[in-house]
Amino acid sequence: MKINFLIFFSIGVIVSALSISPSLAQQKGLLIYGLQLEELEFRRGDEGEELFAWNGDAFVGTDEVKLRWLGEGEYDNTTSKFEGLENRLVLQWPISPFFDMKAGFRVDTPNGPDRSYSVLGLSGLAPQWFEIDADFFVSEKGDTSARLDAEYELLITNRLILTPSAEINVAFSGDHEIGVGSGISDIEAGMRLSYDLIDRRLSPYFGVVYERKFGQTEDLAKAEGEDFEGWRAVVGTKFMF
Amino acid sequence: MINTKKFRRHSCIVAVFYLVMMPFTSIADVYNLTVDKVIIDTGKFKKQGIGYNGASPGPVLRMEEGENVTINVTNNLDEMTSIHWHGLILPYQQDGVPTISYDGIKPGETFTYKFPIVQSGTYWFHSHSGFQEPDGAYGSIVIKSKKREPFRYDRDYVVQLTDKHPHSGARIMRNLKTMPDYYNRQQQTITDFISDSETNGLGTTINDRMAWGDMRMMPADIEDVQGFTPLINGKGPNQNWTGLFKPGERIRLRFINSSAMTYFDIRIPGLKMTVVSADGNNVRPVKVDEFRIAVAETFDVIVQPKDDKAYTIFAESMGRSAFGRGTLAPRDGMVAEVPQLKKSPLLTMADMGMDHSNMKGMDHSNMKGMDHSKMKGMDHSKMKGMDHSKMKSQVDPFYAPGSGLTPNAGKDKKFLSYQDLKAQKQLYKHRAPTREIELRLTGNMERYIWSINGKKYEDEEEIRLQYGERVRFKFVNETMMSHPMHLHGMWSILDTGAGKWNPIKHTVSVAPGTTLYTETEVDAPGQWAFHCHLSYHAASGMFRKIVVVGGPKSALLNSITSKEPKV
Amino acid sequence: MNILSKITAIAIASATITLGSSQAWSAGSHDGGHGAKKNIGIPGKASEAMQTIEIKMLDNYYEPESISVKQGETVRFIIKNDGEFVHEFNIGTAAMHTAHQEEMMTMFEHGVLEADKINHDMMKMDMGNGKTMEHNDPNSILLEPGKSGEIVWKFNKAGKIEFACNIPGHYDAGMMGKIKFKS
Repeated sequence: MKINFLIFFSIGVIVSALSISPSLAQQKGLLIYGLQLEELEFRRGDEGEELFAWNGDAFVGTDEVKLRWLGEGEYDNTTSKFEGLENRLVLQWPISPFFDMKAGFRVDTPNGPDRSYSVLGLSGLAPQWFEIDADFFVSEKGDTSARLDAEYELLITNRLILTPSAEINVAFSGDHEIGVGSGISDIEAGMRLSYDLIDRRLSPYFGVVYERKFGQTEDLAKAEGEDFEGWRAVVGTKFMF
Repeated sequence: MINTKKFRRHSCIVAVFYLVMMPFTSIADVYNLTVDKVIIDTGKFKKQGIGYNGASPGPVLRMEEGENVTINVTNNLDEMTSIHWHGLILPYQQDGVPTISYDGIKPGETFTYKFPIVQSGTYWFHSHSGFQEPDGAYGSIVIKSKKREPFRYDRDYVVQLTDKHPHSGARIMRNLKTMPDYYNRQQQTITDFISDSETNGLGTTINDRMAWGDMRMMPADIEDVQGFTPLINGKGPNQNWTGLFKPGERIRLRFINSSAMTYFDIRIPGLKMTVVSADGNNVRPVKVDEFRIAVAETFDVIVQPKDDKAYTIFAESMGRSAFGRGTLAPRDGMVAEVPQLKKSPLLTMADMGMDHSNMKGMDHSNMKGMDHSKMKGMDHSKMKGMDHSKMKSQVDPFYAPGSGLTPNAGKDKKFLSYQDLKAQKQLYKHRAPTREIELRLTGNMERYIWSINGKKYEDEEEIRLQYGERVRFKFVNETMMSHPMHLHGMWSILDTGAGKWNPIKHTVSVAPGTTLYTETEVDAPGQWAFHCHLSYHAASGMFRKIVVVGGPKSALLNSITSKEPKV
Repeated sequence: MNILSKITAIAIASATITLGSSQAWSAGSHDGGHGAKKNIGIPGKASEAMQTIEIKMLDNYYEPESISVKQGETVRFIIKNDGEFVHEFNIGTAAMHTAHQEEMMTMFEHGVLEADKINHDMMKMDMGNGKTMEHNDPNSILLEPGKSGEIVWKFNKAGKIEFACNIPGHYDAGMMGKIKFKS
């Protein structure tokens, strides 16, 4: 239910943004919007598992404040289950020339128990062109966790781009019901080679992703008989609107 | 007898009256323009856009100095529109900027502009609404001089340039806001890194990349928007606009840069060009091989092809991502060789307002070499010994010393500098300015926010000027982009150090890391727009309203709702 | 004011036409061209002048823009600079003018010439190679705004010659005129 509400809310905001004539923009604050799917891919694991995964965001707003939806998920084709399904809705505003603050909430609705969180985060461009996202979460149960996301674009040519990325999740307290133990819970590292086929609108890619769970989280996964580590080959496309 | 005498005297007066009045009555002309949706075919792509009288570019409006024009503009679009007469001196209500001069022109409505033509030369017109201008809403204006012009020509062509993009202006704006390097396809790659390492050494190359990376800025950021097709009079490079001539004739080419974002470097291989006019005002003729035309500027040049062959008009974009091409030929269908694009320039630390020795701590106050006021006073009487080597300076003081953008026409060839522009006629008595206003050109490339003194248009009050004063504007470019600054309604006298012969312009380009000065005789009451003429810079905040208070028509200003000036 | 200037303009225009038609000269014995070093003619004696041509220099053009002479004729040119800038009246071939333009450019670069002023003192200065920048060729005259001067020239040989102003940019802007030879 929550997820539906979020999606409809976001779509509503975007549609109303579209209906405002751009010719007004020069005089008032410019209203902008956009949709970006950084990852939209098919994943095949070293043990034959097949997954479908995405990671993207959409926004509407001005230079001063934006409403942003961020979503990511992983659907396991073999088990027909959402391994992960996460949606965030945040307000975002600049706090320095290169960084924005964002605040809002996050709802996780994968197969299994749901969770909702409050979110406070930073997002921006660090020196040497590292795109950084750092988020802090407090769940409805009072558990706290953090996530650090970093990405770098290496230009082989102006259209052929190699993108290494890394994500680290840290839990400050365990939430065993959803399989998270305290400490560094997991990492995901990726390397994708993309080609800008149509502008930057459509950029197909392939690459590899390495996922690994740590500490208590690893133990919990083992206890459930799940994978705690794995390589995946990915193929997909970036999409930008 | 008496009667006859009286009659004769009377008829004499009538004759004189007719003789005098006829030319005036016959040139009070009416022009009709419709604003239409059109298809623009660049030869590379077709795109729906906006034009005038069914075409983009719109017509050449040929006017005469001294006439009173009436221009009926009918809006056939389903959105608001407007027309601004770029460079024309006119009452502010006729200037065509929505929310500043008037409300704009509603769909289906006809708006009638009426104003006297008090100048001559080459100008242009364009929509001042949204992104209609990049979408194709522009045309040219040629005003015939009352007096004989200080140059001769047998033929006259408008050469109007634009940077037509396959994306609509609104979409480009959105993409730039979402991803500022969306259109930059000249970024440094691994290949560049390897070749730079081979030439300059690995350490130097790493240091260079780190220095730029530290600032999160790109030396290849010269053109915010690439992927366009340059058009000359609406024709793409393959469609090849052609102007005919007979060998030996003098041809006046009226270059107008109506691009949204693109500066062009223009040359005609095999011909020298004599620049005779800049922004509609005559300059003392100067012979060049190449010149750079900033967005919204105009330059009139005279060429005299003597041979019975074709010549290419080659207009390469400043970032060298594309070129416009036309031909001058004795007969239709003749073509000349089209040169290769030159190597893309890269910005240097000088363009960032610093030199290599001091990369951290951008101290803009230390910008050496740009103080034009100190350049005059070269006391010729004291010049003994005459050091020839120092006379012919190749340095263009309108670029930061060591700038990557400094143009170069090649060995023994002359590239026009602002320094070469000297007014042919003074429009105003030279006098000291009454005050100076500092305008820092500021921005944040990563957010694609452009501003003046750190504030966007919507966040800042208007600039108030007093009628009758002479204001000196100090432009300090703190960004890495070039900004063509355009003041509506009043002339900008560019300080090149030539004193009373400083050239008179409507648009002045301020190169990165430089400071330049203009002076304006505040002689036009009302409210006026003042902005960077790069479409997406203006739209994202590099824009100001100027209010001129006092003056002969001050009563008109009472209707203006303006906020109180800030202290 | 408009009416007045209009009338003045008409007056000037008609005067110009009169001036132009007065060039319809007849007769004139010819010298035979002995001793002509250049094919553009030689300095003449005022007493031998068979034709007087008034040349008005304006910014940046001449009135009239072409003249007619006869081979062997000595012409007295009365030149007046009615412009706001320094102008030159120089008789020569196109190639000579091109070469002279470079000299003029140097004079500008050294401040010997300014747009509206001639620095006569500087002209006499030694350039360090025993040469000065004096502008004293008999086939040419350089005038400040408002000044007038004379050249007497004997066109002892017909050829492709022009009169021109070689102040930088002026020739290219069209400040030149043809010298036509009548038979």
